[in-house]
Amino acid sequence: MQIKKGFVLREVGGETVVVPVGKMSKEFHGMINLNSTGAFLWRFYTEEHSVEDGVNALCAEYDVEEEKACADVERFVEILTRNGFAE
Amino acid sequence: MVYELAGLRVLIKNQYAYTDKFCFKYLSDDQASPVDITAEVTKEEFEEEKKLSPNFSDGYIENICLYRSICMQMPLFGRILMHSSILEYEGKAYAFLGRSGTGKSTHTKLWLKNVPNTKIVNGDKPILACTEDQFIAFGTPWQGKEGWGEKTSAPLCGLCFLEQAKENSIDQLTNKEVTSRLFTQLLIPETEEGALATLELADKLIQKTPAYLLKCDISEEAVQKSFEALTGKNYAEK
Repeated sequence: MQIKKGFVLREVGGETVVVPVGKMSKEFHGMINLNSTGAFLWRFYTEEHSVEDGVNALCAEYDVEEEKACADVERFVEILTRNGFAE
Repeated sequence: MVYELAGLRVLIKNQYAYTDKFCFKYLSDDQASPVDITAEVTKEEFEEEKKLSPNFSDGYIENICLYRSICMQMPLFGRILMHSSILEYEGKAYAFLGRSGTGKSTHTKLWLKNVPNTKIVNGDKPILACTEDQFIAFGTPWQGKEGWGEKTSAPLCGLCFLEQAKENSIDQLTNKEVTSRLFTQLLIPETEEGALATLELADKLIQKTPAYLLKCDISEEAVQKSFEALTGKNYAEK
């Protein structure tokens, strides 16, 4: 899975914020507010990676159990796919 | 014609006379020097806007599109459009923000009625310019349906988000709390560089400007709450 092109990410006021640009801004209006795990995964999935890659990366970055990491990544992937932000 | 908007030279290429009259107070004395921003409306933009507002004149439609064109370019010059009502009191500007219908106009009117020497910088669509230490709020010809505002500017010293409530209270917001509230009030360009510039300016705005949440009704007590929090003065000394 990979996040589609057409988003910019930046820290704003201590939050990590993503907004759509170009064609994506016609399809999706608004902003995405990411927590630190979300921001990490967003950056990770700007390149093509499997769910398993994401779990491994998350476990390497944070002190988190594999089961929890797996649930986080699956949820992240599900939300992004459902909203058409990833393919 | 070339106009001076928020300290920039803006060339507006309009087809309809509506905008000439609308912007005349902002006309530049110097029509010859280079400009910072050129605003014009494509046929597609015009048709799109016309669909949204079929009952308005072509001059009005073009005028709306022109301001969008200007404001979409502003972030690359360190300026943003922030949907809000901005007042000036003792040389300092204070912004009231909230979704449509939360009472920005009502609270603005309450200030004008109760606080002497208050004036409106812009009641709807002011431009904020980033300087080293702070943001400066600028009036523009685009002043919302009430047409409130002046050709003036003042340093922005506070943001006040409004929510309707039965009792009046005010609390300072953390930077994180401001972020999501602020975003819905900013115009974010569709280009990558424009969007990134806007996010950078939003971040600076949040860092440099104290922000409050005012839960309020439409009484003078609501003004007392926002006045004391924003100005740091006792309401009796207004």
